[in-house]
Amino acid sequence: MKRTLRWLLWAAVSVVAALALGAVALRRGEPINSMWLVLAAGCTFAVGYRFYGKFIAARVMALDDRRATPAERLRNGRDFEPTNKWILFGQHFAAIAGPGPLVGPVLAAQFGYLPGTLWIIAGAVLGGAVQDFTILFASMRRDGKSLGEMAREEIGRVGGFTALATVLMIMIILQATVALVVVNALKGSPWGTFTIAATMPIALFMGLYLRYLRPGKVLECSLMGLVLLVAAILGGQAVSQSAALAPVFTLTGTGLAVAIILYGFFGSTLPVWLLLAPRGYLSTFVKLGVIFLLAVGILAVRPELQLPAFTRFTDGTGPIFGGRIFPFCFITIACGAISGFHSLISSGTTPKMISRESHARSVGYGSMLLEGFVALMAMIAASVMQPGVYFAVNSPAGVVGSTPAAAATTISSWGFPVTAAGMASLASAVGEKTLFFRTGGAPSLALGMAHIFAGAGGRAVLGFWYHFAIMFEALFILTLIDAGTRVGRFMLQDMLGHVAKPLGRTSWMPGVIGTSAAIVAAWGYFLYQGVRDPLGGINTLWPLFGISNQLLSAVALSVATTILIKMHRARYLWITAVPLAWLVVVTFTAGWQKIFSPPPHVGFLAHAAALTATHSAEARRLIFNDRLDAVVCGAFLVLVATILLDSVRVWAGILRGSRPARLSEAPFVATALDPEGL
Amino acid sequence: MKRLRSLGALLMALMRELADESAYRRHLAAHGRPHSAAEWRRFSDERLRERYARARCC
Repeated sequence: MKRTLRWLLWAAVSVVAALALGAVALRRGEPINSMWLVLAAGCTFAVGYRFYGKFIAARVMALDDRRATPAERLRNGRDFEPTNKWILFGQHFAAIAGPGPLVGPVLAAQFGYLPGTLWIIAGAVLGGAVQDFTILFASMRRDGKSLGEMAREEIGRVGGFTALATVLMIMIILQATVALVVVNALKGSPWGTFTIAATMPIALFMGLYLRYLRPGKVLECSLMGLVLLVAAILGGQAVSQSAALAPVFTLTGTGLAVAIILYGFFGSTLPVWLLLAPRGYLSTFVKLGVIFLLAVGILAVRPELQLPAFTRFTDGTGPIFGGRIFPFCFITIACGAISGFHSLISSGTTPKMISRESHARSVGYGSMLLEGFVALMAMIAASVMQPGVYFAVNSPAGVVGSTPAAAATTISSWGFPVTAAGMASLASAVGEKTLFFRTGGAPSLALGMAHIFAGAGGRAVLGFWYHFAIMFEALFILTLIDAGTRVGRFMLQDMLGHVAKPLGRTSWMPGVIGTSAAIVAAWGYFLYQGVRDPLGGINTLWPLFGISNQLLSAVALSVATTILIKMHRARYLWITAVPLAWLVVVTFTAGWQKIFSPPPHVGFLAHAAALTATHSAEARRLIFNDRLDAVVCGAFLVLVATILLDSVRVWAGILRGSRPARLSEAPFVATALDPEGL
Repeated sequence: MKRLRSLGALLMALMRELADESAYRRHLAAHGRPHSAAEWRRFSDERLRERYARARCC
């Protein structure tokens, strides 16, 4: 009886999922309530987790709770520690949730809300969650080894080195892209700039407090940091209204880029406890709190979506980035659907803390579904704005015209009415001088979030919520930049250590400064070119980042597929091979089009060719940058093609029987943990 | 009410884990040492060195 009821319940959830997806996909010409999206995603994710996730856990991986995990066998009270399932779920989710799932959907909304929404739902269930789950499982069975180590052991040395080089290149593009998002959000905004600048002394104070005043009291210290952050937002409003202080904090794009580059350099060379760690603690709590608040806000306000299901820009002529819906929608939204970076987390701390093998499903598969939900909330936040406002904020001056009046005319001519006066009034309501040409996704996401949050508090608090959202985004983007620069420096030192031993030593100051400067210069150059780009920079950097992130996914899924073949699970190969094939088609098509596509708004080389007739220094700089971007994109494709071919060679050898299917799993040891004690 | 209390306890435990306070407690227990400023610094330096050698997610 109980079993029948359970099946009836799941049948009902499946029917609701189908109906909600139908409602989302088929309604045209009238506004749709955001609850349909929430219902479609919620029910599909529930069905995916219950059936697909369980199928993979039971049939493919054969998770075995009698087997001791690395957390139990190698327990050291530090990184190897059996941890409660839900605590580990929260910790893993906090680690995978970055700016990607928030910014990507906002940019992809230029195609309308439908393509991105469907990709988030399908991509998370069939791709992203499968990747995170399989890599977590593989790492857990290998004593918590990293993706690079697993690639080297399961595929070969070429695969291992290629994975390392791909990660380093991706990190450089990632730093530049997210730094550009912050620059575009803070450009000409004294309120925002002051708030973010204030987070530096707040973090330094927290670092000193934790080190010398109240050692170990991280929660107490973080609470003080949160109070100071709110004070900084309120102080930012006063600064923006002060005739003396406002000009000091009104920076140009170039000025902000230089400030962020300097911050990245000092952040990666200063002691971690002083700046990075306190900022990291603060950013984690703010991030989780705001995501929770946004979910509550959407459920409470239940806003209607103003963007249409599809816009005219599915044909590839979009102002935010060039390129058709296929393949560009699928690389623009990476982190909310499938993200290669997650494979680094799934083969990092998490596998060392799992107390039972069966927990890998909720932690690996479940956390990714929650991340899909975050991406969906970002899509809703972008879609609750009037389309004219959305395009006015996100379109670069180089596309729509350099004055508010010209931009409003261009955007209105696309069928999305907007006026310069209306935008000025909105800007004034949120305490900004202008909201035109704020490319990068962060300001429009902040506007959408402010709209939702202010639903409960009225227009009077719109400015506070807008800057709260900007602070939230910039805070964890800067955390990503300082920590990423440091990691990039370690990776570079690791590589250079093979050439000259002192360069590999993390305690040798000249080596530390030199390698930090090299990493900062690498991403700083791409950031600088993005800031100076008349088309806003995001149109170039975000697709490059999306391609590289999805290519890292292809590397992770190649490793997972190799492991499945070696486990004699070839009949279930489609579980990882289908998302892998999809990613290869999407990313190689996107990469090829970004390099060779004839329209100049899509192809790097075509854009460079279109500029060759102009003989100015500015044109020469843009031509050089286009060619550099083409080379970087080509390098990504070559690196991943190398690892794919190497993997296929291994698969063919094992399936033909000419190569032994030697797994590098740790041997079985029976668990001694008390099942009730966890 | 009981469920609400256990949810609150779980959230608190998650925050302690994210704040490294639980890991510090485990560290003290594993080494049989009492809490002190020097011990926290030793623990924190080691933990942060490991944490900030790994890539952050986008």
